[in-house]
Amino acid sequence: MAKKETGLPEANSVITRWMPEPAIRLDGVEKYFPPTPSGWRALLQPFLKPTQRALAGVSFEVARGEAVALVGSNGAGKSTLLRVLATLLLPTRGRAKVGGFDVERDAARARQQFGYHTGGDEGFYGRLTARDNLAFFAAMNNITGPLARERIAQVAEWMGLGSDLGRPVRTLSTGMTHRLNLARALLHSPGILLLDEPTRSLDVLAARDFRRLLKDSLVKRHGTTLLFASHTLTEIEQIADRVVLLEKGHLVACDSVRGLIAATGTATLEAAIAKRIGARKHGLVGEDPLP
Amino acid sequence: MSLAKTLRKIAAFFWRDFAIARGYRGALILETLEALFGVATFFYLSRFVESPEIQRALPAGTDYFAFALVGFAFFDYLSVALSAFDASIDEARQNRTLEALLVTQTPLPVILAGSAVYPFTVMALRTCVYLAWGALFFGFAPRAANWSGAFAVMAASVLSFAGLGILSASYSVLFKRGNPAKWVVLGVSGLVAGLMYPVSVLPPWLQFVARLIPVTYSLQGMRAALLAGARWGEIWPSVGALLLFAAVLLPISFGVFAWALRRTRVTGTLTHI
Repeated sequence: MAKKETGLPEANSVITRWMPEPAIRLDGVEKYFPPTPSGWRALLQPFLKPTQRALAGVSFEVARGEAVALVGSNGAGKSTLLRVLATLLLPTRGRAKVGGFDVERDAARARQQFGYHTGGDEGFYGRLTARDNLAFFAAMNNITGPLARERIAQVAEWMGLGSDLGRPVRTLSTGMTHRLNLARALLHSPGILLLDEPTRSLDVLAARDFRRLLKDSLVKRHGTTLLFASHTLTEIEQIADRVVLLEKGHLVACDSVRGLIAATGTATLEAAIAKRIGARKHGLVGEDPLP
Repeated sequence: MSLAKTLRKIAAFFWRDFAIARGYRGALILETLEALFGVATFFYLSRFVESPEIQRALPAGTDYFAFALVGFAFFDYLSVALSAFDASIDEARQNRTLEALLVTQTPLPVILAGSAVYPFTVMALRTCVYLAWGALFFGFAPRAANWSGAFAVMAASVLSFAGLGILSASYSVLFKRGNPAKWVVLGVSGLVAGLMYPVSVLPPWLQFVARLIPVTYSLQGMRAALLAGARWGEIWPSVGALLLFAAVLLPISFGVFAWALRRTRVTGTLTHI
């Protein structure tokens, strides 16, 4: 049924449908970065020992067809975690799997499973049209010819890009480029979507429409798994089945919105997050030592 | 990944770069004219320095203008080959497309090869433009040229230069700015490879260094094919040496590049500018 609607091969979704593992699994993932020296010492940076912690033993799972929000202060480790899952960063310790494939040992197959939204309005060839950009990235994901044209038309319609597909990207507004970025993540009908602040630059109506697309069409109808970082509480409440709360690289909570509110004895998600992060900041949750 | 898929992806890279370059038609015309000025400069320089001593040092049947023109054109080819890979990485980093490319289902070697196809093609055309200007206005006459031999030298040069280019890109991935390795290769090659004068005029130890550099064989083979109309048997040693360089340099360069990329995945500096 999904094939008829999307016109895309079912390979990815078949893999995720029958796999015994969760769509995303993290087992004690730690990520440390080396310090960033200045002056001539900057030349040594690629060889320095990673000592600055970004993720501290994060473990959780995301089931197939589940929507999970990554929430936390700036610098909590949300983007780092998404970049580890997207195979752009290697975990220092621990294991991460996407669609059953280890992001470090089987990165090529892991990449077939997900679409990644880089969280900004960049990453395109400004002189090429939006259509040419999408066609290029479709080709990079093995989608060419009539199938690519059909798929581009479809994601463009979803993202409200139809009339702008023929314009050079450099003439598009920030919001439109952001939509194009999201369209690119959806091009190859991934079974798993990793989105970093997906509605950051969208106007109110476009953000609302995109949330509906995510929840109603992709997650509910197609069983797409969603892991997204967000600072927008309404977005989290509307889309997320569960919330993963990070603070300074630590997993502070992993629960449904209602569960989080109930567990903290608060009335709103905002208050629940504040209480959990406040507890962490004031040392009520144990701090892991640096290695 | 099948060969057909790989070729389709490489074609996508070519059309991407071609479509971008189409937006800069003025630059293309200026570069073509710039080549004319370069060729004219060599022509008048060669008239100034033409002497029986120089003529004796050149390969038989070659005048200094033809010798220098081929050297100039193919040395330019080397400098573009050395820059093509790190320029494409640098550009992808600047316009933030590198991450977007790396999360696609395209392996890194295909990304690297695809990014280099257009610059290499344009440079091959530019080399032809140099030679065409020389033939049109300055009496460069490769009448006896062995064109298939020249093509073989060119193809073997592309492979061996690509190895150096990928090594250069590895430096760029790790350290971002400046690239001493590239300038050392260009500087040493410019000095000893026989760009403006025959390698035979160098002291023996520099002639030995010249034998360790692929561009020496590239210029030697190209001059033999284009200027002396050498047969395959005479061109083959140069082509063989270039293929040997490629066989050594390409696996090393891919290995070094993969290691450099892995380091940036550890340090998180892949997209840093």
